[in-house]
Amino acid sequence: MKVSRLWLNKFFDAPLPNATELSDALTFHAFEIDGVDKKGDDDVLDVKITANRGHDCLSHRGIAKELSAILKLPFAHDPFGNKSDISKVTSHVTVKLDTPLCKRYIAGYIKGVKVGPSPKWLVERLEAIGQRSINNVVDATNFVMFNTGQPLHAFDAGKLKENAGFAIEVRNAKPGEKIIALDKKEYILKESDLVIVDANAKTPIGIAGVKGGMPAAIDESTTDIVLESANFDSVSVRKTAQALKLRTDASARYEQGISPELCARGMEGMIEFIAHQIGGEVTGFVDVYPNPQAPQYASVTLEKINSVLGTLLTGAEVSDVFTRLGFGYKEESGVFEVQIPNERLDITIPEDLIEEVGRIVGYDKVPATPLPSFEGKVEINKNYYAAEAAREEWMAKGYSEVFTSVFADKGERLVLNKIDGVKPYLRMSLIPGLTDALAKNKPNKDLLGLKEIKLFEIGTVWKDGKEVLMLGTISEKEKPVEVELVGNTSPEKYEALTLSVAEKFEPYSKYPYIVRDISIWLPEGEFRDKASTIIKENAGDLLMGEPRLVDSYGPNKEGKTSNLWRLIFQSFEKTLTEAEANAAMEKVSTALKAKGFEIR
Amino acid sequence: MTLTIPFWPKNGYIKGVNSEPGHIHPISSLIREANQIFYGLGFTFAEGPLLEDEKHNFDDLNVPKDHPARDMQDTFFVKAKNDGESNEVLRTHTSPVQIRYMESQMKKGVLPPYRVIVPGKVFRNEATDMTHEAEFFQIEGLVVGKDITLAHLKGTLAHFFEKLFKGAKVEIRFRPSFFPFTEPSVEVDMRLVGEHVPEKLRDKWIEMMGAGMVHPNVLKNAGIDPSIYQGFAFGMGLDRLALLRWSIDDVRHMHSADLRFINQF
Repeated sequence: MKVSRLWLNKFFDAPLPNATELSDALTFHAFEIDGVDKKGDDDVLDVKITANRGHDCLSHRGIAKELSAILKLPFAHDPFGNKSDISKVTSHVTVKLDTPLCKRYIAGYIKGVKVGPSPKWLVERLEAIGQRSINNVVDATNFVMFNTGQPLHAFDAGKLKENAGFAIEVRNAKPGEKIIALDKKEYILKESDLVIVDANAKTPIGIAGVKGGMPAAIDESTTDIVLESANFDSVSVRKTAQALKLRTDASARYEQGISPELCARGMEGMIEFIAHQIGGEVTGFVDVYPNPQAPQYASVTLEKINSVLGTLLTGAEVSDVFTRLGFGYKEESGVFEVQIPNERLDITIPEDLIEEVGRIVGYDKVPATPLPSFEGKVEINKNYYAAEAAREEWMAKGYSEVFTSVFADKGERLVLNKIDGVKPYLRMSLIPGLTDALAKNKPNKDLLGLKEIKLFEIGTVWKDGKEVLMLGTISEKEKPVEVELVGNTSPEKYEALTLSVAEKFEPYSKYPYIVRDISIWLPEGEFRDKASTIIKENAGDLLMGEPRLVDSYGPNKEGKTSNLWRLIFQSFEKTLTEAEANAAMEKVSTALKAKGFEIR
Repeated sequence: MTLTIPFWPKNGYIKGVNSEPGHIHPISSLIREANQIFYGLGFTFAEGPLLEDEKHNFDDLNVPKDHPARDMQDTFFVKAKNDGESNEVLRTHTSPVQIRYMESQMKKGVLPPYRVIVPGKVFRNEATDMTHEAEFFQIEGLVVGKDITLAHLKGTLAHFFEKLFKGAKVEIRFRPSFFPFTEPSVEVDMRLVGEHVPEKLRDKWIEMMGAGMVHPNVLKNAGIDPSIYQGFAFGMGLDRLALLRWSIDDVRHMHSADLRFINQF
């Protein structure tokens, strides 16, 4: 979520530290930061809210609350504490919930609103976090959502049908029911989608928790509005947003599951905003809340906290954490009984509280303790033992190990959702993959310095209704073979096998290479190294690796031996031409001749 | 047909048969090395099927039914063998083996302590690029006992990386994170210090893996009493570890079956 530093500042009396310090505070105690952008005199942090904290932290208030706990800054201006009065009831609006998937619905009726442009500060805040300013009313609903985490919506009351007042209903859509949403696109709904309906007109005016509809859209002519601050079921909203391919800032919040208590906090925020920024007469509210959220408690002992974290924290340190987080708690002989704030739906068990303590004190306080020696029996994995034996055997015979894909053109098991649709089955044999790999490697034989490509794979296949581990081999000369790999010995311990001694991978050129051989008559004596050095020094930059001596015979009657070197030419930038290879070889020949070597 | 265990060649290759010994895949070498290190700490090498049921891949690991991770784009779903049976999934992590291992031990009447590593292939249904593959390798670690702590996780990982990056001083850092199967959950960063460390890695914090204390529900689901036992678990990408270890530029080399890559190891 994009978070503005200037926005966060409003929750505190003392100025916040700079963006780097804020990033570090969040990174080591709460969330990863995906990036920080400078926007004018503001800094915008891209905070990666974890899936367990979407309940409370997809909001500036949530992030500010975290910073308050982490940095020990008094949370001076909590929008959840600063309650506007929303208790006045209006009889001009009725709300009917026809589904248990709407846990709460607050409607507020406001008259005499003047729609117009938003004040500059609001435009700046919204733009900083990537939102477009629309008008003061719509911007206010967005501001309050990004402030508190509670999505809000404003309907133009002038476009609703009046029948001794307005009638809002939340119900399942009728199969095939249509609505034109605020993006001016038509959506065809299913029965599992929830809609907000103008019950007097019997027309849908919004896709619940996802997007408002054009039939009651706010425009310049709007004077009276019905405000919605409601709670919709997370799974239902997610499914609807997914099916309609319409993921909005509102649906993203509902999908996480949010406390129905937030409905009131959102409406209070809106009322305060109307009073100070927009103007209008707050007529009253309807609050349908059949099953209010019960207070949540969790408890944990100091001993448990230290036994899980491996720390030696004191009761005072733990109390300090809960205080900083704004949790109510009671401590009695090492047992902490904690009242969890409504919006923190993530905390239910002792381990959740332990995590709060761990992250707020900081995981740098957790020491690195070696494991004690193991009292149980360490088993030897027979299948792995057999696989390792096979690796050694085939490696010794000159075979190299490959991993090929488990996806295949045919097989017994069908993959239902392969993105590309290619190779939609699980393989039933290693052989097709090995055959492809052999063909692919063959042209690189010279480059690899191999006489023959030989490959093996130890991999899983699905055949005869079973998942089995197979060993497959293939070479240029032998037919591919595969056998089931089963550990059928009971070794006492693993063999001490050697590990790769490679230091570093050397990238190779993707362009074709050219092979050139040069054959030289050498007199008796130490001439081989000398010739090799001259070749290397004169072959130029396009020579790959070392010139390789691939054949040698003799001595002949004159006591000379014939020596054949193979040179590989290749460029990292382009496909080489024959002429370039020839030119390099010409230089090599000239240099060799100049030193008195006889080229065959 | 089954394979019998062959002889163990003494010199790395057999003279006369072929003068060019082949190479094992760098991932195999890495798994071998990890197993050597963890075996020394009392860890058993465990394994499980690649084609999993949703129960082991998700439910038992405390991943809620409606969790976005189960969405079609992340998981490969495989059609059920027979009509009326549930579809299966290509395991999205090595963590289902946590459950399978603990279940099998409990069935045998073997109570914790447990120490297990699970190296193996896992799958994610996502677009592939230089750092992401649909098929890749992970190593899972699980330690369960009466007094296993988050501090032991830190100590164990420090030991592993010290052995793996020989000669380097290793620092381990935890950051808060979230996984349904651990509580608390952490991201693990590593920093290598010392002159023997390749410059690309030296003195830099590198994100290595997700880890945490096993969620009590996971223990419960495997039949273990979480009021007596607790433990830690970690899951690390082996491809990424190989990339770091050998300065490999593209993860797609791993499944390329290209000897220009493999024969360098």
